[in-house]
Amino acid sequence: MKFIEDPRVKASRRLWAISWIFYSVFIAFLMGLSYTMGTEPYIWGLPRWVAIGNIVVPIVFVIALIFVAEKLIPDLPLTDDKEGTEGGKE
Amino acid sequence: MNWATVAFGLYTAILLAIGIWSYKIVEKVPIAKYEQEFYVAGRGLGGVVVALIIAGGLASAGTFIAGPGMCYAYGYSWVFINNMQTFMNLLLLAPIGIMVGIVARRVNATTYLDMFRARYRSKAVIVILAILVTVFLLPYMATQFVGAARVITQMTGIGYFGALALGSVVVLVYCVLGGMRGTSIAILVQGVVMTIGCIVLLIATVKYAGGLARSTEILAAEDITLLSPTMGGAFTGMFSFSIACLIGYFIVGMPHAMLGALTYKNTKALKRGIWMGGIFVLLWTLCLCMSGAIGRSIIPDLGVADEAAPWLAMHVMPGPLGGIVLAGIVAGIQTTVAAMAIIITSSIAKNLLKELKPTVSDRALKIASRWTMAGCMAIAIGLALQQPALIQWIIIFAIGGLEAATFGPILLGLLWKRGNQWGAIASICWGMVVYALGSTVLPQLQVGGMHQSFVAIVSSVVVYVLVSLATTKPSDEIVQTFWGASAKQQERA
Repeated sequence: MKFIEDPRVKASRRLWAISWIFYSVFIAFLMGLSYTMGTEPYIWGLPRWVAIGNIVVPIVFVIALIFVAEKLIPDLPLTDDKEGTEGGKE
Repeated sequence: MNWATVAFGLYTAILLAIGIWSYKIVEKVPIAKYEQEFYVAGRGLGGVVVALIIAGGLASAGTFIAGPGMCYAYGYSWVFINNMQTFMNLLLLAPIGIMVGIVARRVNATTYLDMFRARYRSKAVIVILAILVTVFLLPYMATQFVGAARVITQMTGIGYFGALALGSVVVLVYCVLGGMRGTSIAILVQGVVMTIGCIVLLIATVKYAGGLARSTEILAAEDITLLSPTMGGAFTGMFSFSIACLIGYFIVGMPHAMLGALTYKNTKALKRGIWMGGIFVLLWTLCLCMSGAIGRSIIPDLGVADEAAPWLAMHVMPGPLGGIVLAGIVAGIQTTVAAMAIIITSSIAKNLLKELKPTVSDRALKIASRWTMAGCMAIAIGLALQQPALIQWIIIFAIGGLEAATFGPILLGLLWKRGNQWGAIASICWGMVVYALGSTVLPQLQVGGMHQSFVAIVSSVVVYVLVSLATTKPSDEIVQTFWGASAKQQERA
């Protein structure tokens, strides 16, 4: 019998890719800005790299995560008997 | 008795009440369903609890005690490194959450190793992993007790051993009596206390230091490298990146984080667990680490850096508020201990016992679960009697070991059909050997200043792929269980 893959597996693989891409962009910003912004001039009394790279950047990415999670993760049923009917409302 | 002690006593009393209450709930469950209730709380947890279980489980004493301690010792460089853990929930739930959710329901997996058993059908994999998980998680758990004891010592003035007993008994009660049910109820209370405590600590520390600008000036005058992202070159970019891998990309290898993936109710809970986890971890990390770094401008000569957060809580704010902060720090540690205790218990009392004695009854498993949990905690408390200086290095070592053993078999095991038990065994063994060598006689494996876990984990993934390709494919039954369409989907096709 021909093997038919559960379509939810594809969604799972896509989520893995999204999460790693999201984190890679975050790390690029975090490291890039932290290493290049320098310790002066101070912002809010903090070294520039701390204020921008380590306060602003994480906050922006956490806000972005809300949209990424809510918009890009599909409502999928987790049990086979409800598959294709209730979209996550188990 | 000071106000801080009173506030902490109240918090402890609430947790004990939760332990007893959840014990009554668990005891009412029929013996046949006990296992599912004790280990995964009936697989019905919502987004907030899932967020807290994963975030609280992973953000351990490493965040709540050692985080501010490292920032106290190494300045803002460690704020930068700790910030890399912000998206732990995303990096755990997004790659494997859906697959674990589907397969755990198909095979009725209630524990971490149940998933491995279903995927690899290998007694050797289960036995090796049960041993490794226990070996690495016990010292990790011990460091949590050390952290909690240090906080309680600062708060109450009682000796280290008394503080150790006080901090550990309450976790013992609600974990042993209530299992995952008790843990999930307690974690809601703890999440609130932790979050409020962290925010209050940062505000009070900044105010006490005379503002951020004043604090920065003092730190710059003391040692300018405290303001550097590399601590004046002590932490290279490669080292920081390897830590990002350890607490980011490779986080699926942390067994106690898997609890969140096993227990969530539906994808709505999964999504909330992901983004709420990001908010919680960011708040805890930023508030505590910033407090540690700023705290050095208030008191530059603490004997033990890990005592920075409790010292600040006791000295920069009024008594009752200090008590809430300290209760929050202890809560952060207790959530980790609870998650670890459940993973170790399930590994030994359920999976290992069932492998060795398949005919074991449900009643015997129930008794074994509670005694194993109590026994593991007793061992961890025993290990905590030795008092290491900076616990962060032990924590990072344990995380590296766990991930070197399990990252490949978990991630590729769930996403790649061709992986098999031989690949898993080879990967685990290879990861352990390379990690051990990199930590001892072959420091050259710390390529470019990276943590030794990086080479161990990456090479173990390569070994997993090569050995799997060189040996037989997994059975059709395994492939169908993990990736096959359901009967309804097949009908439609």
